Amino acid sequence: MSAATVAVRDVSRWYGNVVAVNGISFELGPGVTGLLGPNGAGKSTLLHMLSGFLAPSAGEVEVLGESPWRTPGIYRRLGLVPERESVYGLLTGYDFVLLNARLQGLADPHAATRKAIETVELAGAAGRATKGYSKGMKQRVKVAAALVHEPEVLVLDEPFNGTDPRQRLHMTELFRRLGAEGRTLLFSSHILEEVEQLAERVLVIVGGRLAASGDFREIRRLMTDRPHTFTLRTSADRRLAGALVAHKSVLGVELSDGRLVVRTSELGAFARALPLIARDAGVSLHELRPTDESLEGVFSYLVNR
Amino acid sequence: MTLYAGGLRSAFGLGRRTSAKVIPFALAVLAFVPALVQVAVGALTSRLDADVDLFAHEDYFGYVQIILILFCAAVAPELVGRDQRDRSISLYFSRAVSRVDYALAKLAALVSVMLVLTLGPQMLLFVGNGMVEDDLDGYLRDSWDLLPPILAGALFLSAAIAGVGLAIASFVPRRAYATAAIVGVFVLTTSVAGILMETADVSFARYALLVSPLVWEGAILWFFGARPDPGSEIRDADFHGAVYAVAGVVTILATTALTIVRFRRMQA
Amino acid sequence: MIGIVFRLTLRQLIGRGRTLMMGLLALLPVLVAVVYRLGSQDTDQAEWAATVLFEGLIVTTLLPLAAVVYGTAVLGSEIEDGTAVYLLAKPVSRARIVAAKLLASWLATTVTVLVSGLAAGAIALAGEPGDGILLGFGVALVLGSLVYSALFVMLSVVTSRALIIGLVYVFLWEGLVNGLFAGTRLLSVRHYTLGVADLFVEAPERVFEAKLGALTALVLMAVVGAATTWYATRRLSRFEVGETT
Repeated sequence: MSAATVAVRDVSRWYGNVVAVNGISFELGPGVTGLLGPNGAGKSTLLHMLSGFLAPSAGEVEVLGESPWRTPGIYRRLGLVPERESVYGLLTGYDFVLLNARLQGLADPHAATRKAIETVELAGAAGRATKGYSKGMKQRVKVAAALVHEPEVLVLDEPFNGTDPRQRLHMTELFRRLGAEGRTLLFSSHILEEVEQLAERVLVIVGGRLAASGDFREIRRLMTDRPHTFTLRTSADRRLAGALVAHKSVLGVELSDGRLVVRTSELGAFARALPLIARDAGVSLHELRPTDESLEGVFSYLVNR
Repeated sequence: MTLYAGGLRSAFGLGRRTSAKVIPFALAVLAFVPALVQVAVGALTSRLDADVDLFAHEDYFGYVQIILILFCAAVAPELVGRDQRDRSISLYFSRAVSRVDYALAKLAALVSVMLVLTLGPQMLLFVGNGMVEDDLDGYLRDSWDLLPPILAGALFLSAAIAGVGLAIASFVPRRAYATAAIVGVFVLTTSVAGILMETADVSFARYALLVSPLVWEGAILWFFGARPDPGSEIRDADFHGAVYAVAGVVTILATTALTIVRFRRMQA
Repeated sequence: MIGIVFRLTLRQLIGRGRTLMMGLLALLPVLVAVVYRLGSQDTDQAEWAATVLFEGLIVTTLLPLAAVVYGTAVLGSEIEDGTAVYLLAKPVSRARIVAAKLLASWLATTVTVLVSGLAAGAIALAGEPGDGILLGFGVALVLGSLVYSALFVMLSVVTSRALIIGLVYVFLWEGLVNGLFAGTRLLSVRHYTLGVADLFVEAPERVFEAKLGALTALVLMAVVGAATTWYATRRLSRFEVGETT
């Protein structure tokens, strides 16, 4: 296992009586990780702590081996794309990225700026003042500003906010590429498709706690006690339903729309039993489909747990 | 419509973040402090049979003037600016509320809040003075005629400050600049009027007083039937007291009209 | 680094509305001086210039108003808008950032009040020996701008309500309280400024007298200026973003 670039150990953050982040621990390495959770779950709080803009109330945060709090030097290797839309409106896109390059103390700020702007495909609009940019363009210029010093770790707070599907596709491609280059990317979102399409690894945060972490298929596997639902198309739904109901692994059956929907609590036992039950009942199985194999199903289960 | 004014008052006068409430609240408390001091001192010295009268009613308004100005500067931009920024102003205008009503409701809310600061300490002073008197009935009989001028003064002052403050706030969208502008306008008109009185020909310079906060002092003195201090600008200007009252009312009407016009022109 | 932030801040300070407001503000003393010259002068020109114009109008009102507007704008508005992140998420020392912002506020304030003051003063004193008034108040305004700026920059790091608090400080504390309780003048930038002016103004005391001695004023200016700047740097290095989602 490669060395972790980001490590969070039992981190909590509270404001008076309100606990925004509650005892979260995880480690990240190179690649893209998505931080998924509903609004108010504590995603931004966590990202602020990781980027040195908030001190944890308890626990330790480590980025590239040091605590980012009160460590301006870390920004040489850390890039941040903040959530807020505002940039320096009077500056052109180019000048804004150039400003960031200069503040980073880069040896050739202009070259770095040009490269960053090309990477986000903003070359055409770079000469205009950012005041007139659309939301999607502003997001892209913010990403360029965060990339200009080629950081090892990149933290992005809701980077897809306000982007249209085409821009999202392009940015997803970009982030994937950056992850493949060996950088560590952590981005937050409350929209499932965004995380599903991009993240190699998912951290699900709900109510300040880490509800689950891992590959989203892994997350599903972690929850063997979660009821699974299957939709079947058979030659004789009613007869099969009657036979299935008797089996101990079946929680319930439902006949709807020419389909048979089965809820089961024991995935393995059901999978083994189904062919035998069908054969004994003289029913042919035409189609078997899991109904909720998606992050959506996983997510709503985790949220309601 | 009147319901609306009441609704707006509670919604905006008091419904702000705690941290934002601190300053207006602190200023409000400060407005009461001299009255408290007077009452406390009065209570202590009443046993000595001395008659301590630190603050006369008509002078009290002058002492707390700066506090009232700062309060208005802190509160008025919040009242107006928030809606503009949040665009909830479209919501208000799309309902059956005319823009005139909206402006008037805001004004009413601000004046009401300021009345607490102008009338409150005065009533405290009045009641406090009464309490240290041995002869309460006698005090009331002698002093009840102070009440109308107190009321008139408080209302006049509140409306004058609120009117100007709200007008400036409605023209200056950015909250911080509105605050600075409100304080700036009041302070500078006072300074300049004072300087002009000393510097230029009095018969012309005195008109500068009529567009400055000195109008309030003049009007209040007239309400109380008191004489201006020797050496003060008001004494030198030698206007009949009613002139100040009229000037003040004109200002109140003019600023209200400006505010209404501003809201009517505003893009919703 | 300081230069980059300094230039960026200056660009932001020159906004249309703000410059207009400051321009009008700066014009006021000049107009007043013109009125003075046009009218009959039965007061001594030097005395009028020193006490009425400079002490009464410029140092008391113009200087703090300009400083409060610029001082809270340089850093406060960045924090409020959310652009401060771009300055802070960089390997730049917080002290340099504060220094750059302070210099920008100082420059803007000084230009505003000095041009206004020197022009108005020159008009008022025309044809009369200056008694060091222009020099004295010139220096005082330059130093006063610095200390006021430091104070307001520090306030804008500490609180989002820096502007109104600054105004309360100037007009309630320096205005009302200093007038009532002489001891509080030790904590008043206004009186430091007047004290420094006194150093150069050679006029006799009936013309102009500051309530604080010049040496006291200079020392306190240095102390207050250094302390507020140090505190601003300290708070900025512990800057926390507010709760959004």
